[in-house]
Amino acid sequence: MSDITPVIVMNDCAVMNQFASDNSKAESPMVNVKWANSSNATVFAKELAFSGHIVLRGKPTDDAFMAGAAKVLGTELPGKLSSVESGEYVVRWLSPDTWLITMPGAAAYALETRLRETLTGHYQVVNESGGQTLLVLSGENAENVLHKSVHYDIHISNFPVGKVVNTNFAKTGCTLRRLGEQEFELVVRRSFSDYVAAWIQDAAAEYGFAWQG
Amino acid sequence: MAQVNRTQAGGRINRGKPLSFTYNGKQFTGYEGDTLASALLANGVDIIGRSFKYSRPRGIVAAGAEEPNAVMQVGATEATQVPNVRATQQALFNGLTCSAVAGWPNVDFDLMSYVGKIGGKMMPPGFYYKTFMGPAGMWPIYEKYIRKAAGLGKAPKEKDVDIYDAMNRHADVVVVGSGPAGLAAARAAASSGARVILADEQEEFGGSLLHSSETINGKPAAEWVTEVVAELAGNKNVVLLPRATVNGLHDHNFLTIHERLTDHLGDRAPTVDGVQMARHRMHKVRAHCVILATGAQERPIVFANNDVPGVMGASAVATYINRYGVVPGKTLVVGTANDDGYDAAIAWKKAGRDVAAIVDSRPGADGDRVEEARQLGIKIIFGSVVYDAKGQTRVKAAKVGAVSPDGKKLIGDKLDISCDTIATSGGWSPVVHLSCHSGTRPQWDDKIIGFVPGDCYENRLYVGGISGNYELGACLTDGQAAGENAAKSAGFTPDTPRANYQTKAVKVSAPMALFVAPHEKPFSRAPKQFVDYQNDVTAGGIELAVREGFESIEHVKRYTALGFGTDQGKLGNINGMAIAAQVRGATIPEVGTTVFRPNYTPIAFGAIAGRNAGELFDPKRYTAMQSWHEANGALFEDVGQWKRPWYYPKPGETMQQSLDRECLATRESVGILDASTLGKIDIQGKDAREFLGRVYTNAWAKLAVGKCRYGLMCGEDGMVFDDGVTSCLAENHFLMTTTSGGAAHVLEWLELYHQTEWPELEVFMTSVTDHWATMTISGPNSRKLLEQVSEGIDLDKDAFKFMDWRQGKVDGIPSRVFRISFTGELSYEINVPANYGLQVWKKLMEVGAQYNITPYGTETMHILRAEKGFIIAGQDTDGSVTPQDLGMSWAVSMNKPFSFIGKRGMNRQDPTRANRKELVGIKTKDPKVVLVEGAAAVNERNYKQGSNVVQGHITSSYYSAVLGRSIALGMIKDGFNRMGETVYYPTMDGSVIEAEICSPVFYDPKGDRQNV
Repeated sequence: MSDITPVIVMNDCAVMNQFASDNSKAESPMVNVKWANSSNATVFAKELAFSGHIVLRGKPTDDAFMAGAAKVLGTELPGKLSSVESGEYVVRWLSPDTWLITMPGAAAYALETRLRETLTGHYQVVNESGGQTLLVLSGENAENVLHKSVHYDIHISNFPVGKVVNTNFAKTGCTLRRLGEQEFELVVRRSFSDYVAAWIQDAAAEYGFAWQG
Repeated sequence: MAQVNRTQAGGRINRGKPLSFTYNGKQFTGYEGDTLASALLANGVDIIGRSFKYSRPRGIVAAGAEEPNAVMQVGATEATQVPNVRATQQALFNGLTCSAVAGWPNVDFDLMSYVGKIGGKMMPPGFYYKTFMGPAGMWPIYEKYIRKAAGLGKAPKEKDVDIYDAMNRHADVVVVGSGPAGLAAARAAASSGARVILADEQEEFGGSLLHSSETINGKPAAEWVTEVVAELAGNKNVVLLPRATVNGLHDHNFLTIHERLTDHLGDRAPTVDGVQMARHRMHKVRAHCVILATGAQERPIVFANNDVPGVMGASAVATYINRYGVVPGKTLVVGTANDDGYDAAIAWKKAGRDVAAIVDSRPGADGDRVEEARQLGIKIIFGSVVYDAKGQTRVKAAKVGAVSPDGKKLIGDKLDISCDTIATSGGWSPVVHLSCHSGTRPQWDDKIIGFVPGDCYENRLYVGGISGNYELGACLTDGQAAGENAAKSAGFTPDTPRANYQTKAVKVSAPMALFVAPHEKPFSRAPKQFVDYQNDVTAGGIELAVREGFESIEHVKRYTALGFGTDQGKLGNINGMAIAAQVRGATIPEVGTTVFRPNYTPIAFGAIAGRNAGELFDPKRYTAMQSWHEANGALFEDVGQWKRPWYYPKPGETMQQSLDRECLATRESVGILDASTLGKIDIQGKDAREFLGRVYTNAWAKLAVGKCRYGLMCGEDGMVFDDGVTSCLAENHFLMTTTSGGAAHVLEWLELYHQTEWPELEVFMTSVTDHWATMTISGPNSRKLLEQVSEGIDLDKDAFKFMDWRQGKVDGIPSRVFRISFTGELSYEINVPANYGLQVWKKLMEVGAQYNITPYGTETMHILRAEKGFIIAGQDTDGSVTPQDLGMSWAVSMNKPFSFIGKRGMNRQDPTRANRKELVGIKTKDPKVVLVEGAAAVNERNYKQGSNVVQGHITSSYYSAVLGRSIALGMIKDGFNRMGETVYYPTMDGSVIEAEICSPVFYDPKGDRQNV
């Protein structure tokens, strides 16, 4: 019998490093997708697999919380419908009291512990790294694929670079962020990722689609 | 076959590109640029259908969406059949195959015409209601034949081979219609930088300008169209949608636009570079401002026998000649009450064919076009009307008579004028349809003799024909102003200087209001004067409806079926209202207004479904172990949108054999279940415990760190809606599990209560369902297996007890292991981050091989839990069951300091009364008989039908391999007090199954096995 693993408790919450020391057998949510590869593609997709995903919840009216989070992240938490990048972190506003922070997978535990060391009062930190994945959609017709998929007005005048929305995506949902004029990032739930991948390829077929694995 | 009616030159068709098509099995030739209707007319096809009730031969009367007769079944193969296509809106393509939908057995000889002839007078309005009233139940049989004969098209019997698409769009300004007003509006709005969508239902933009002889800035109107369209196409903020019908204009300026992407190209959508193109695309558009420039449709004059083929709209005739190079006859008589009717005669004459006369109901007229007709030598008969047509399958002559100045009576002489075509114009009906879709009623305007859009609270503007403005110069300037105003309302500044539009003023003489030409006989006795061709509604029928007491036009419509066809009465409604008004001696506004509903024209179902078809009909949710399940032969069951392994049959096994094997392996050694789909909610905060106490029925105050507890959730009504195990991870940290199907609802429920009722509680919750892959190993050997793959966990039975959780590593992966059981066996639920799910599962299978580890699916899970009497929320409960009804009072704490959701509800009079249905076990007398789920219980073998005879029903029923007999759970009235009693379950085949009421715990009643 090996030593008993102690449960690390911080701020009366259980904390666990959920990134395995050996990640070699890990599978991303889109591992089983069969991707098309058109030779004259105008829509491209790639998955940013094995990212760390940390959900942070707290009240924006709680100055100590906002200041503490800013200290750890090196940036203020972004306001309504926006995102900010800071070092290895991308911080997205999800709701008035919820943010999603992504980073390299191995860095998630360090962020969680730093947040818990720094923050006081009422907040929540949740590791979602296995529950969702990041998909980047690009190309001159990426916007048309999104027109087929989301109801939100994604015209650049209404949805500029850096803006974030939680919206429907076909019959599921996604967190959508604009990375560039013709580049978008989708946060996709693991269990819906095959559906999303199939939908995107179907919608993009007429424009030519290629996977940039 | 020669195109007998085709002109030598002129029109927007390409005589260099002949296209062949098949109509009713015969081959014809048309040209590129033709519609199916213009090509049929070019070939001299007179009869294109039979009428609904009387089965009279019918021909093409219009050139646009309002066409009631030329409704076709299009499609070369069964799979590409499209019913109810208006020939006037179908572009001709090479190989087009179509047939008339009306007329059975065929249009040239059909059975129903005899019914029509014999039954003529015997088929008044309400005929079908009156005749086919009884006997009850026969209507479906009558209807089948009536519909077959009536010709409403047929649905394809095979799966549609085409695909369809949908797009969401947003715009500052949407312009509907691309005639002069629409184009000027789109151009002005686009100049400001606003996002503009221009949609038009026709093959090309331009509307009336495509057959107009007028000029704009000194150039032919069609040239101006080309210039403006090119300018708009070059603006990246403009989306041009040709062949796109705005079929719905809904609340908040939400539009549904139906674009026919490939209907003009072939029988089915083409494949380009190996990719199948979508046939139609539905644009769902949200607009800041909508400009309706939908124009107007010409209103015919109703007269006797006005349905004989060869009777047409005057503007339709002009359109066919000027736009399509088709003169649809040899000799023309025009019946008109305005100058516009003259266009047909002028075009006809210029095409080199005979115009017998223009019959103008007005005493005189001096407009420019009247003058032009005179100069062309056309005979004009003022103060007269065409009141009857001679001919059976084609017009032979027009009966013309002098009319009183009010148009109500024939006076003086009558004569017959030989001709084969009668074109009438009673004026224009603005295309107000879209303006009605969100509830606005159109208003009668005496000045323009038509309905215009009523007041509306949306940001909408009406320009051109829809507002009764038919003069080209005014259409252009009004359109321009509307485009500017629309852009301004969306925050844009229109370009300056403004475009300048020069047009030549046309002198127009005043029109006369004439809807129906008077006959020698009254409506009731005159030959049929058709108002609505599709439903065979006549002036006499409307008169009869009014006489029978139907006063409001809405009632008249429903009684006579006026406007109820696939054309929605575009051509006939206004005339019908005018006739109802005349019969009542009332004004048109007094008989009411008519409204239109979406859709403007019929839509293919495929276009509504879009991409949500086939594999993409509904999302399929997969766990991290899906590929393993598939590779190992699992069959799947839908649980919500999840695909869950149902069972894993081995070659040659029946389902029951698989289940027996899976059940016994779990009871005897170890089974493994993918439980990843269970809802999981991470709950943190100093009030988390208090919050749990309020949303669950049981107590949570004393649950220690490291422990798990089962809980029931009820609605306010005290009825169970979900259940699951929640574990205390740390003092302020809990992991809640929910049913697989109920996860999203439970999270919303928790947020709802937190945000609205108890915002003061410091608690946050976040779904982690997808983050954790969960695999349950269950059975007496599960501990041994876990020992071999885990580290950091003391698995000793006293150190890691039933309803404890521990942290450690499984196959080197950080894990949380919960010793909870849904099978009644020693059982561990292993949770690892989902990226490692497959890795850990494979390891368990590999190491578990020595214990014959057996994967099992939801069906075995159901059997194993039923053997233990564990409920499944949603199967054993149905929203009407309290915890007490389930025998689960132990999971309800009435003494919590704060109330909990459902406490008050479950203490109401009805949930606490005696004799409620309660969940009990049911054992059939014959152990081999498995009851059907849903079977109803009665007290007597020879029960009598009646109220209160049913004692309850079966909620779960299986064959239990370990018990060697069937088991069931079910609701029975007062069941807890009836242990050992016999009940009976009548079956579908008439036999009755005898069974005994028993404890729902069939196996290991003391629970020893899970506590080992």
